[in-house]
Amino acid sequence: MDESELLKKIAFNVIQGRVVSEDEGVDEGLEGRPAVTELVNQALEQGVDAKKLVLESLTNSMETVGQKFENKEYLIPDMLASAECVGTAMEILKPHLLKQGVESKGTFVLATVAGDLHDIGKNIVSIMLKGDGFDIIDLGCDVPSEKIIETVKAENAKYLGLSALLTTTMKNMESVIDGLKEQGMREQVKVFIGGAPTSESFAEQIGADAYCKDAFQAIERLRSSS
Amino acid sequence: MIIIGEKLNATIPSVKQIILDRDERKLTELAQQQAEAGANYIDVNVATGVGTAEDEIEAMKWAVKAVRNVVDRPICIDSADPEVLKAGLEIAGSSALLNSTTAEPSSLERVLPLAKAYDTLLIALAMDENGIPGSTEGRVSACRKIADACEKQGVALDRLFFDPLVMPLSVNAANAMITIETIVEIKKFAPSSKTVSALSNISFGLPARVNINSAFLHMAIYAGLDAAILDPLETQLITVIRASEAVLGKDRHFRKYSRMFRKKQ
Repeated sequence: MDESELLKKIAFNVIQGRVVSEDEGVDEGLEGRPAVTELVNQALEQGVDAKKLVLESLTNSMETVGQKFENKEYLIPDMLASAECVGTAMEILKPHLLKQGVESKGTFVLATVAGDLHDIGKNIVSIMLKGDGFDIIDLGCDVPSEKIIETVKAENAKYLGLSALLTTTMKNMESVIDGLKEQGMREQVKVFIGGAPTSESFAEQIGADAYCKDAFQAIERLRSSS
Repeated sequence: MIIIGEKLNATIPSVKQIILDRDERKLTELAQQQAEAGANYIDVNVATGVGTAEDEIEAMKWAVKAVRNVVDRPICIDSADPEVLKAGLEIAGSSALLNSTTAEPSSLERVLPLAKAYDTLLIALAMDENGIPGSTEGRVSACRKIADACEKQGVALDRLFFDPLVMPLSVNAANAMITIETIVEIKKFAPSSKTVSALSNISFGLPARVNINSAFLHMAIYAGLDAAILDPLETQLITVIRASEAVLGKDRHFRKYSRMFRKKQ
């Protein structure tokens, strides 16, 4: 298989959400054919440039997946399957990217704020950002503000993502931002917020850098902000 | 879940006629419909009760040949007569699923050598020379007898599909749980074997049968049922299977469940 065919095949399988060859895809009858894991390894053996693979097969495909999700053609598990493909590909590619001097886009701390146990959305963001080249530190859910601030400090994180699903817990986002200010760290870290009750105006009100309605918008805003 | 399409069965009057008429078009239509609806195996039973044993042998050969010509799914060769099973096997080869043996010595002696010689999968019914045991213990003991005979004859346990058998709920309210508990016990003593059930008998004599079939199927799948002999065109049962597998975490990325509804869009 020549390089462009291989890159196209990887992209196709990311969109189909097939991590390994036994996986089914969104479409019927693909099981048994080589999937992302096998194809990415094959590409590396053939000497395909890792950076090129990320751009042409992974990033573009996730944009397609995002559109399909937006159009309601794809469901949450479809998107997660595709994100899993990207995550797996990135794991395989990581040493090669490092060797090429491609650096991480930076450390990104993620958390669902104190009192809130909802983490489906945050987990999607986590896996998508990992695929986009960030180093993710996911603190999980119901994370006390102090712990979030400590982690940002200790890891020297460039980005912080806060999630909340409840109107009663979204105010804890503000306490995190206030804490960052008190410690004189507000300038070192960009704060992104998301979750059903939050909004553009809420982000402005509490002094966050951006509100993102979903993982795809998060990636978009990150690209335009860096 | 492995789905075995049950529609090609001579005990159904319209199918009996198709077989007696050797109506290849209607026969293959039934096979194709079932394959398209997601059947992994096509069951073929040609016991019309008309004619001699020779006639059934000849009918089996005809039916297996015809079905193989139109669908790529393996065939479940269904007969109580080992000679008919053999005739089907000669055409279908090792991809076939043999249906079936019981724990009766006369059945084991004749069917196990076929399964071994053709290296096929084999359905083993939880009954013996005294009929269908009325208790879980009795059914399990029949299954153990079959497993022992298989080990002696060199048929690996992972080639077996144990059928715990289903008696109508309407005559004994314990009948569903006897089957379900038998599945659990089979999974304990023969974890490498599979289980299979022709479940629709459970609702015989009750109204709105599909509701009972659905409830039973959910519970049987939870208990460890691996394969079901049913009408794959009955969408409610297929929906039950897909939903149960999704809930049990057996449908990675929910592909099978989601696909049912994508198709409808």
